[in-house]
Order: sequence, then structure tokens, then C-alpha cells
Amino acid sequence: MASGKPPDFNLFGAEEKVLAAAEGLERRVADGPEELRADVRALVEAYRRAVREQRRLVKVSDRLQGQLGTVNQELAKRTAEAEEALARLRDAQEQLVQTEKLASLGALVGGVAHEINTPVGIALSCASHLSDATAAIHRLFAADDIGVDDFQRYMDTAADTARLILANCERAAALIRSFKQVAVDRTTSERRRFDLAATIGATLDSLGPGLRQAGHTVTVACPAELMMESYPGALGQVLTNLVMNSVVHGYDQGVAGRLSIRVDQPDPVTVRLVYADDGKGIPDEYRARVFDPFFTTRRGSGGTGLGLHIAHTLVRGSLGGTLTVDSAPGRGTTFTLVMPVTAEERLSPG
Amino acid sequence: MERLTIPATERSPEVDFDFAGGRLSIRGESYPEDAAALFGPLFAALDRFLAASPGPAIRFDFELIYFNSSSAKALMNMFQMLEKAAEGGRAVTVNWIFAPEDETMREFGEDFSEDLSHVRFHLVATPPDGG
Ligand SMILES: Nc1ncnc2c1ncn2[C@@H]1O[C@H](COP(=O)(O)OP(=O)(O)O)[C@@H](O)[C@H]1O
Ligand SMILES: [Mg+2]
Repeated sequence: MASGKPPDFNLFGAEEKVLAAAEGLERRVADGPEELRADVRALVEAYRRAVREQRRLVKVSDRLQGQLGTVNQELAKRTAEAEEALARLRDAQEQLVQTEKLASLGALVGGVAHEINTPVGIALSCASHLSDATAAIHRLFAADDIGVDDFQRYMDTAADTARLILANCERAAALIRSFKQVAVDRTTSERRRFDLAATIGATLDSLGPGLRQAGHTVTVACPAELMMESYPGALGQVLTNLVMNSVVHGYDQGVAGRLSIRVDQPDPVTVRLVYADDGKGIPDEYRARVFDPFFTTRRGSGGTGLGLHIAHTLVRGSLGGTLTVDSAPGRGTTFTLVMPVTAEERLSPG
Repeated sequence: MERLTIPATERSPEVDFDFAGGRLSIRGESYPEDAAALFGPLFAALDRFLAASPGPAIRFDFELIYFNSSSAKALMNMFQMLEKAAEGGRAVTVNWIFAPEDETMREFGEDFSEDLSHVRFHLVATPPDGG
């Protein structure tokens, strides 16, 4: 037990010295009157016991503190473990949020490719037609066999195809411009001045193919030239998540939905955007939870339960507004987004 | 003498002094805010009980899970009272009850029994539900 101590160290050395002195006193009074001897003996015995109790108490409190130390260490270890687990969870959560953002960005890119395909395809076939016609007229010209009719036909073809090529290339260029803006907004989350109707249009364009494929139609009623000073990327993301949810959750295969976006201004500094579908709706017991992270009725078939959570976070954060849901089974689903025309500048993107 | 029972609290043990049956017990945890308030009445009752002679045989069970230093000192005082009574001819048995894996509690029992020569002191390792 005492192996580590120097041999001459004794925690109770002083007490032992007093005890030795007391025992010496006991011997010195050995010849004294019996009453005195008995008293001294009792005193010495009491002191002996007091010293034993003191040793015992020190042991008791050392042990108790030892236990406390062990408990504290265990606690520190558990706390560290819990903190680590929390950090891992946050990482995983952050990753899921990124996954969800990527999914809607993926839809955007898919939409872009599909949407641009049409005008480019038309321009291409017009160009090819013009090229064929030019080769034919060239042959006639070379054979010195060209008539006025031939030339007239060729001129008509050239004018038609040139007009179509121009119109479709312009359409493609316009689409690319708007997608470029959507993509930049979506990835940089910067505040800027923008036309709300145009941003809604560009966002819907990017979702167009998916909507048309499923047979859904979207009607938009938005005041022209409603300029906002806000975060168009966040707004596009919110709209995308709402529309994608309608497509995924709102309708059975083959059911054509009617989606609508209506914008008005309850007052000059506020914009209210009401998004609605006429789909299945959300059961009462789920409605309060749809904004909760990870709440999904489609776990296992692609649902992350983060779409509405992200939408809510973006509305509360960047857009500085509120997002509420109103829905009942069979009565469709309506989301109301109320936000200031001018959003507060945010230091960190989000 | 009237039986003395005190229910356990978060910081103080359950006390049952059945004087007529000669069976006394203290069980639970003991780290009271005010040791004097808890142990004062116990000492007073024990004193009166032990003063009556010749008294019945006594069995005192201590089954503590945790106690602080003040409580340890109080326990030692209590053991001293019991030792005196035993020396005076009373049959006194103390059972120091602890969970089998609780080495610390066993060592406390061993320490406390050092000064007792007339009291019969038993170290009893009992599984939590066994007794
Ligand atoms: N338009 C809607 N129609 C019906 N249910 C919806 C609609 N939008 C959301 N929901 C419900 O809210 C849940 C949460 O949506 P969301 O957070 O986007 O997660 P996810 O789409 O990954 O399931 C969905 O699982 C669905 O049950
Ligand atoms: Mg979703």
C-alpha cells in the first residue's frame, strides 16, 4: 500500500508523537492515585480511538473522491462520445441537405437539356433542309438548267428555313440565358434585383419536361414588372421543391394535375405567393409534420423528407418570410409564401 | 419504546428502528444537507433505547449504497454506542450489507469493524434483490 512513499513519511506522525507522549504520561502517573490513573488511561484510550477514526475518515473521503473521479472521467468520456456522435449526425444531415439540393439541381439540368433540345432540333432540321435545297439548286445552276420557278421555290424555302432557324436559335439562346441565371442563382445564393414573373417563368421552364410528361399544367398569375430585391436562387429552389412534391406525392400515375401560382401584394412592401395543386392532399395527422426534417411518406422510394424542410429554412432565412401549408385529403395542397419585396442582406449564404 | 420510521429521500436513507422487536435498520443513500438534522433524532432515540437495561438483544442492519464523510462519522459514533452497550452485556449483532461487486462498501465495513470487539459484526454480500 505505502510502497511509493519515502520511508520516513507518516501522515499521522504528529498524532503518533502526541500518543507516545500521552503513553509516557500514563507511565509517569503509574504510581499516582488510582483515580488519576484511571482518568489518564481513559483519556489516552479516547485519543487513540479518535486517531483511528481520523485515519478511517481520511480513508473514507479518499475513497469517495476516488469514486467521484472515476465517475467524472466516465462522464467526460461519455460527453466526448455524445459530442462526436452529434458531429457525425450533423455531417450526415448536411450531406443529405446537399443531396436534396443536388437532386433539384439535377432536375434543373435535365430540364435544361430537354427544353433546349426542341428548338435546337428544329433549327438543325431546317438547316439540313436548306442545305439540301441549296445543293439541288446548285446542281441545276451548274447544268445551266435553272428555271425561274426553281429559283422562286428555292428563295421561298431559304426565307422560311432562315426564319425558323433564327426563331429557334433565339428561343434556345433565351432558354440558355435564363437557365444560366437560374443555375448561377441556385449555386451562389446572392441577393440581386429581379423580375418575379421572369424568375417564376424560368423556374417553371426548367421543370417543364417533367410536368408535361406527367400531363400536368401550370397556370401563373403574377403582376408584370414586380421587381424584388431578394434571393432568386432561394425562391427558385423553394418553387422547385413545391412543384416536385406535387408531381411525386400529389397524383397517381396517369392523373393530370392542375397546378397554379398566384402572386399578389397585400401591401407595397410585401409579396404573397400562393402555390396550389389539386392533388390528393395531406392527411391531418401528417400536416403538422411536413416541414420537419426527415419527415417523408416515401422513405425507401427516394424520399429524403428534406424538401419542405429546406424550403422552410430558405423562406425563413434568406427570403425573410413565412411558408405555411393548407391541405386536406382530396382537396389538394396549398402553400402560402409571404415575403418582403426587399430581403435583408445576409452575411452568410443560406 | 415507540417504533421510529423515516422514509428515504433522495439524499437520506430509510430508517426503521423497531425497538420492541430489537430490529433496527438503515438503508439507502446518505449524503444529507444537514447531517445533524438527520442523525440527531436517531442518536437521541438510540441513546434512550440503549440506556434501558437489561434490554432485549439487538440486530442492526446497515445497507448503504453511498454515504458522505459526515455520515461516516455518524456511523462510527453509532458503532461506538453499540459497542458500549455490548460491553455492558447487551447482545448486539450488526449486519453490514452490501452488493457483492461493491468492493468499496466491503472495505468500509472492514474498517468500521476494527474497533468493535463486543459487537458481533457480519459482512454480508447480498445481491440487490436477495434481501
Ligand atoms: N403536394 C403535396 N401533396 C401531398 N403530399 C405532400 C405534398 N408535398 C409534400 N407532401 C408530403 O410531405 C412529405 C414531406 O415532403 P418533403 O419534405 O419534400 O419530403 P419528400 O418529398 O422527400 O418525401 C412528403 O413525404 C409527403 O407526404
Ligand atoms: Mg420532396
